[in-house]
Amino acid sequence: MADFLQLIISGTATGAIYALCALGFTLLWQASGTINFAQGEFVMLPAFMMLFFINTAGLPLWLAFLLTCLVAMLLLGYTFKRVIVDPLIRHGVIPMVIATLGLSIGVKQLTKAGVTAQAMPFNSPFPDGLLALGDFKVSYADIGTLLMAGLIVIGLQLFLNRTVTGRAMQAVAQNTDAAKVLGINVQRMVLYVFLINAVLAVVAALLVTPTYLAKFDMGESIGLKAFYAAIIGGFNQTRGALLGGVLVGVLENLTGAYISPAYKEGVALLLFLVVICSRSTRSCRYSSRTTAST
Amino acid sequence: MTPFLEVRDMKKQCGAVKAVDGVAMSVGPGEIVGVIGPNGSGKTTLGQIKPTAGSVEFCGEDITGMSPLELSRRGVGRTFQTLQVFVKLSVRDNLIAAAQEFKGTMPGRLFAAPDAGLGHHADEMIELFRLKHVAYLPAGSLSYGQQKLIDIAMAFMPAPRLVLLDEPCAGVNPSLVDQLHDLLVELNKTQGGSFVVIEHNMDFIMKLCPHVVCMVEGKVLAEGPPKEVQSNRQVLEAYLGN
Repeated sequence: MADFLQLIISGTATGAIYALCALGFTLLWQASGTINFAQGEFVMLPAFMMLFFINTAGLPLWLAFLLTCLVAMLLLGYTFKRVIVDPLIRHGVIPMVIATLGLSIGVKQLTKAGVTAQAMPFNSPFPDGLLALGDFKVSYADIGTLLMAGLIVIGLQLFLNRTVTGRAMQAVAQNTDAAKVLGINVQRMVLYVFLINAVLAVVAALLVTPTYLAKFDMGESIGLKAFYAAIIGGFNQTRGALLGGVLVGVLENLTGAYISPAYKEGVALLLFLVVICSRSTRSCRYSSRTTAST
Repeated sequence: MTPFLEVRDMKKQCGAVKAVDGVAMSVGPGEIVGVIGPNGSGKTTLGQIKPTAGSVEFCGEDITGMSPLELSRRGVGRTFQTLQVFVKLSVRDNLIAAAQEFKGTMPGRLFAAPDAGLGHHADEMIELFRLKHVAYLPAGSLSYGQQKLIDIAMAFMPAPRLVLLDEPCAGVNPSLVDQLHDLLVELNKTQGGSFVVIEHNMDFIMKLCPHVVCMVEGKVLAEGPPKEVQSNRQVLEAYLGN
């Protein structure tokens, strides 16, 4: 039983990182109809930025994290929106998908060629060791990850639900035309979402890089799993994205422990396929019922 | 009376079709002007203020082709034929969202409380529009008529100087139409703005508007007091045929 609980806790911690990225996917989609397939690379870049600030500039981790948040907001938030999203979004989703896929490949290859192809170690912001409560043991890293991800999510939910700007962002996500007519500055609200996504990516980088190591392709797996998690959770719901992320993390851990570590990486894909197939079946049933009733 | 809104020789060409063809009209401060006309007469296109030629002046400023955001900042509120409510937000939050951009500074709003100091005003509007019993329900869970009332209340939340209402009675049951009439009269008295009401419902327009403009095939066919327009032979022909 203690083993099972440990697996659930560490799975939830991993899932919380997927959830942060999945939340970014969902927020971008809700606010601007953008699907960002470079989301994984948006996690990889801040990892290297933090390493630069720590190793080259000699800054402590917390300061490197804060500076990286600022740079990421400028680069992965503002610049990404202005240079890639704004010119393409009016042409529909497909050009956006192609552009972000291209961006993903480009960023990866540039990092590989221009920075390093080696995996770089990254210190954890949390202490090593285990917290033991009888037979039950959980690492401080897992506790720290859960606490930090939880605080970020709660803070974000408070911002979205308890501030006037958060409500305006929700209004833009629900009905952009109405928001424009009512004088809500839609472009500014959308920019806020891009900035939030950039910060979420930096937090994910801080939490995941000590395990994954900073490597040019570290974003592939995270980006893909976050995308699956967002779809599993409904894609258009922030709470769904969180649940999807945690579900993927926990099931991965349980599969790795009780079935085989070889199947661990396929869990998210399997879950994703089940969700997609069940939704297609439901849609078919609904449309045939509607056709029959008309 | 000095014109508040002045439309000059407005034209809107949609492909080969002249949706609006040289329309001129003016609206004075605090005036309620009704625009009527059969389907396809160009009423809605006129209300969109995006002509291909001509100009629209509001308080002496050229507002031709301005974006909804710019218009809103100048005190122009609008409703459209389709509902523009935020279905997942409560009725009260819809009203607050409609006016929040006009309250305080941008950095101040960033972390301001969700009612942005507009809660009291929102409650007043909820009372006026008789939506108190549904104030905390999501707008999407209400009937079409109630959502229409929310839509109109939202347009009035920032106390606009001019409101363009496009078919406010469409899809609304007759008892709500009477309520809507009383509400608009009340708002005109209390807020003092000018209204342009584009509508098919002749009774509603004739009762509400002291000045009526009748459009047919993109042109102004007749205008004046409601009784005069109503008895105009050309207007009757346009509506009833020869």
